[in-house]
Formats: sequence, structure tokens, C-alpha cells
Amino acid sequence: MEINLIDLQKKLRNDGILISFCGRFSQEIIEELGDAVKKYLETESISQNDTYNVFSIFIEQTQNIKNYSASKSSSPIGGKIANSGIVTIGKSENGHFVSSGNIIESKDVDALTGKLDIVSSLDKIGLKKLYKEQMKKEVQIDSAGAGLGLIDMARKASGPLKYSLVKLDEEFHFFTLRVNI
Amino acid sequence: MEKLYIESTKSTPEIRFDPVINQMYIKGQSYPENAFKFYEPIFAWVDEYIEQMEQEVLVEIYFHMPYVNTSSSKCLMMLLEKLDEAYQAGKKVMVRWYYDKENEMAMECAEEFKEDLTVPFEINPVEENS
Repeated sequence: MEINLIDLQKKLRNDGILISFCGRFSQEIIEELGDAVKKYLETESISQNDTYNVFSIFIEQTQNIKNYSASKSSSPIGGKIANSGIVTIGKSENGHFVSSGNIIESKDVDALTGKLDIVSSLDKIGLKKLYKEQMKKEVQIDSAGAGLGLIDMARKASGPLKYSLVKLDEEFHFFTLRVNI
Repeated sequence: MEKLYIESTKSTPEIRFDPVINQMYIKGQSYPENAFKFYEPIFAWVDEYIEQMEQEVLVEIYFHMPYVNTSSSKCLMMLLEKLDEAYQAGKKVMVRWYYDKENEMAMECAEEFKEDLTVPFEINPVEENS
């Protein structure tokens, strides 16, 4: 079957999506897309600060997916996870949004929702406190991240983080995160 | 002790640490693939530098970083904590943070570092692209 790009484009436009990428996130792709996001936002008349907020949420989301994939790279399902990434940056009536998704192992669902529920239950003051506590924790050698990404996104977001988990089969779920800025 | 110089890339800042004039510059965005790997040699240099720092000499560290991702923030905090310890041990240290005046995020980032440190910490707006 031929891919119908007109329909795909229509769908993207209807959802307000300006930039999208789907596939394996490398640092180079993150950097290039990050630049594209910044350049695009500079043509819109928004403040430098809003531009950096969108850019920063884009970086945290894509690096989270990349770090998660990297943590699974030695496993036979590593490739499936790494290739499952998608990120979109768009505009709605409430401002900009960054939405991303990837496959996660079902056994990681509880740990992830646990973190998200804590972050979602806090106001900006509580989030700042949590951020500082996490900042003081010793770095785990095997991790490329500092465990600060979700907290930071929640602090910069204009509303609560929105997420969903769709069960694909016993072994995998698809995780989607949307952050409005 | 040797100077430390690391050229900037799209996702890593320029590092210019000079033990002769006792000045350290960090300039540029920081969101590398693995922040801990990038900052590790910088930590090692600073540890060695602090060891041989003289009590009476003023050491200055300059930051001009428009964007820092969360794992780089963690690394900058680790770096600042080393300098804070040196300061608490009686050495003369001054942190000078510059931000483009439109860039609130860079200012807030500096303020949050400052809140948790005792070392003298200046936060200065600059005109863009200077």
C-alpha cells in the first residue's frame, strides 16, 4: 500500500503539529531538531524565555527516551524500544506543546507512573523542593540522567503533565507524555 | 598545572580554565548526550586545582550559559559545591554568572544554585550577544 502523505499532513495540521520526528533518537538528531524548534519559535513573536521553555522540554523528553533506550541496549528488545520513539512539537489555543512517546517494558510501568503521580500531586513550591532534594542525591553511575527531567518539565509546564499508557501486549506498553507550555 | 581548554560544540560549552590567572570560564549551552562523562575531566581538573590553590589568591569562575539541561545542572551543582567547600575552608572564591537579560530561565537557574551555596555569587544581566 502506498503511504498517503496528504492524509498524514492533514492529520498533523489538524492536531496543530509543527515539527515531528519518529524513529531512533541519536544525540545528533536531538540537536538538529532542537535547532529547528528554536528557529521556528524565533519566527513566532514569543519571548526568548518561552522559546527556551519549549526547547528545554523538547530536550528533556527526547533525552529521557534516549536514556531509557540506552538502558535497554544490551537486551534483545533494545532495538524495538529504541526505534519506537516519536516526538511532536505543536501549537494549540493554549500555547505550545511537546508530546512524545515510546515503547516501555511492562515491568517498568509502575515505577514510571509512581514518579509521574508524585510529580502531578505537587504545586510549583512542592516541585521546587522535590527538584532540590533530587539534585542533592548521589548520581547513579549507570545512569546518564539525573532523575530531574520530569520534575523540571512539570515546573516549566503551564498545566499538569498529561500522560497515557496503552498496553500493547504482556511485555510492552506505549507511553505518551504531553507537556503544555 | 596545565590549562584546561575544551572547545564548544552545539551541545557542550567552551571551557577555559587557567591556573596562572586563576580564572575559569564556562560559556555556551550544555545538553550533552552524557553530562557526567563531559564534566568528569572538568571535576578532576578542579579537584587538583583546589588542592594547590593558595589561601590569599582570588579565584574567579565565570558562567555564561543560555541553556543547561537537567543533568548538566546537576553537574554544575557538583562543580559549584567543590568551590563552595574551598570557600568554606578559607579560600577566596568568586562566582560570576552572566545571562542575556531576556533569558529569565538562565537567571532563575543561577538563583537556585546560589540559594544552596555560601560562596559569593554575583548574577549579572548582559545585553544579548555580548
